[in-house]
Amino acid sequence: MKKRLPAAILLLLVLGAALVLRVTPYDYAFQDRDAIMAPATALHSSGTDELGRDRTVRVAAALLIGLAGATAAAAITTAIAACFGLLAAFSPPSIAAMLMFLSDVFLSLPWFFLLMMARSLLPLTASPLVTAVVTFLVLAALGWPACARAIYRGATVLRSSEWMIQGYACGLKNRQLIRLHLVPHLRPLLMPQFLICVPAFIVAEANLGALGLGVGEPMPSWGAMLLELDNSALLARSSWVYLPIALLVVVLLILESFTAEVETNA
Amino acid sequence: MLNCLRSSLAIASLTALLTIFAPCQSAPRLHGELAWAIHYDPKTFDPAKVDEQASELVRYLTGGVLLRINRQTQEPEPQLAESFQVSPQGTLLVFRLRPGLRFSDGSALTSADVAWSLRRVLAPATGAVVADEFLLPTLVTVETPDKLTVRIHLPKRIIGVGKIFDEIAIEPANRPSEGRITSGPFVVTDYKRGQYLRLNRNPYYWRRDAAGAQLPYATSLRLDVLNNREQEISLFLRGEYDLIDGLSPDYFDVLARRSPQSVRDLGASLNTEQIWFNQASVAPLPDFEKAWFQNRRFRVAVSEALHRADLARIAYDGHATPAFSFISSANKIWYNSKLKYPQESTAEANRFLASSGFHRNGNQLYDSAGHPVKFSIVTNSGNAARLKMASMIQQDLAAIGMQVTIVPLDFPALIERLMHKQDYEACLLGISNAEPDPSSMMNMWLSSSPNHQWNPSEKIPATEWEAEIDKQMQLQASSPSQQARKLAVDRVQQIVADQLPFIYLVYPNVLQAISPQLRGVQPAILAPGPVWNIDYLRRQGGAR
Repeated sequence: MKKRLPAAILLLLVLGAALVLRVTPYDYAFQDRDAIMAPATALHSSGTDELGRDRTVRVAAALLIGLAGATAAAAITTAIAACFGLLAAFSPPSIAAMLMFLSDVFLSLPWFFLLMMARSLLPLTASPLVTAVVTFLVLAALGWPACARAIYRGATVLRSSEWMIQGYACGLKNRQLIRLHLVPHLRPLLMPQFLICVPAFIVAEANLGALGLGVGEPMPSWGAMLLELDNSALLARSSWVYLPIALLVVVLLILESFTAEVETNA
Repeated sequence: MLNCLRSSLAIASLTALLTIFAPCQSAPRLHGELAWAIHYDPKTFDPAKVDEQASELVRYLTGGVLLRINRQTQEPEPQLAESFQVSPQGTLLVFRLRPGLRFSDGSALTSADVAWSLRRVLAPATGAVVADEFLLPTLVTVETPDKLTVRIHLPKRIIGVGKIFDEIAIEPANRPSEGRITSGPFVVTDYKRGQYLRLNRNPYYWRRDAAGAQLPYATSLRLDVLNNREQEISLFLRGEYDLIDGLSPDYFDVLARRSPQSVRDLGASLNTEQIWFNQASVAPLPDFEKAWFQNRRFRVAVSEALHRADLARIAYDGHATPAFSFISSANKIWYNSKLKYPQESTAEANRFLASSGFHRNGNQLYDSAGHPVKFSIVTNSGNAARLKMASMIQQDLAAIGMQVTIVPLDFPALIERLMHKQDYEACLLGISNAEPDPSSMMNMWLSSSPNHQWNPSEKIPATEWEAEIDKQMQLQASSPSQQARKLAVDRVQQIVADQLPFIYLVYPNVLQAISPQLRGVQPAILAPGPVWNIDYLRRQGGAR
């Protein structure tokens, strides 16, 4: 019951955003040069930005891009972490120690700066869509070590559990053991990792966008829109400038509530 | 990784909060003191080694000079020299110093000090930027027949030679002091790196006002090192600062609402904003792209597709003037008013493209070989107006089927691409012109120059029109006739308008905020802006 309300709100937000993009006549990149920083009107329900672009359309597109990208990146990073953690857990102790050492080294590197470097190495002509995909892929590729250690710990406990030993004793093959015992018992471990990654990647993309390294213009992203908050002159001109940050906080709170719920159940 | 990202976010937030709420690190304002902000620390206080804006300002405020350019009339006026003569051949300059001049420590200033300062600037070991303006600095000789006379022999005539002496501060011979002993209005007395610089009045300054009162009026100046526009404006509104030079358009309107009597829009500056295509034959670009960029009709089509009035109105909130020449319309003497402004018509742009074999398929433009016309425009991150212009150009060019990607880069990365690797397709950037005379722009127009941005350091001019620009620029730099110089500069402007190696967009306006308490300000668009007549500036109620 507790989980239903935030899930419903999130679903409503996603459906609402999709509906906005479907019914609004404007493209997110369209500049209405006669309506710069326009107030909310029937034409532009939350006004326009500094280039006359419809703010509602851009916020809706940023919501969908951010959520879709972060969800996909979280799925990829959780999958990589699961593979790495399981490999270590079911390997001999010396190999497991080496793999975990590698994971720790990976974790200790200054990834934020390397991520900025990797993002800036993209060809100059990379389209905004490519920059969006690459940004989330890079986040996915760099986000797995912390999850891998958690999964390794959980899988190590599972490996020596009584039902696994019983399975071995009954002559179950590895495939059967993984399908029947391991995956169902790992799910409560993987789900929180996945749910933690989604808001973290949304925030990471917003951070990169605020540094000018996220999704390329004119594709909207939370990071680029949050940059407007850096300009008090804009804040004085329209309260709708706060819409992206307000929506970001709502989405992050919803996602955190999912995580808390799953962790409690686990 | 997650922890890393969270930590980064937390650090970024904390930094932002500290930046916003940190108390100003400036020293308290003294009686009769004027205060304003500079955006970074001066690199040097040695007046001979100045090569950036903050150091230039300190030199202007502290250095005594033989001649000073009046920033309103743009003519040189005598300062330490009471007279200045040029021989008919233009190779001998004779300065006569004012009698009784003294440095800020009370010691006498004579022709020996002037000769020593000039020789130091001319010496290659000093590396003075201003030395290049003497054309052949090692062949310049300086004589001092008596304590008040200085004779300078030049190997060849230099057009507008008087203006060079505006940049040469006279220091005590053999005692370079980095602004601690000066012959100008102020003296460096206190400097805290990253915080503030304080300049006190030179008690032995030669100048007096019409009533005989000692100048400058201000007892001291405090220049806070502050690179935060929000904080600068807040301190200005609180009366902590007396002026802001180079106000951004966004904040101009904010200030105009809160303190309308403080803000001034002086109209178009001498600076230009432009885009250009990389035409260098050594650029690591595909041949078909080089062919586009070297095609005049392609460049004309781009120019026709842009809406400059929109750029000025939207990116600069109306505080810019549409541009079509490298000489600003504010530069009345040199601007070529006969240039034909582009029609800014998409149909006209399409016509030029079609005549060069380009064709449309849906929303995408293709060249005659079937390559889709896609390119990137690099620009520097952190300049809001420029990034807005880039987005608008992206939409304007999309209307003629060109797919443009905007790539903001930090400045060092941008310079690396432009100057060293030449690895870019198009660039959007501004040029700051400190002087109205086109001679100061020689390094941008001569085809052999490394600053000839669209095709740097050409061994021989790559095209006939570039050879013609070289010829006309050399002519204007050496001709003693003002009329001949004007004709040559007009011709260069016409060639640039026809060939469009640079596609000019706007001239940003000069925006300033001046405290209503500040008296004696005379508006000027040339650097150092509102403080060019610093001798006469004072706060109402301050010491006089």
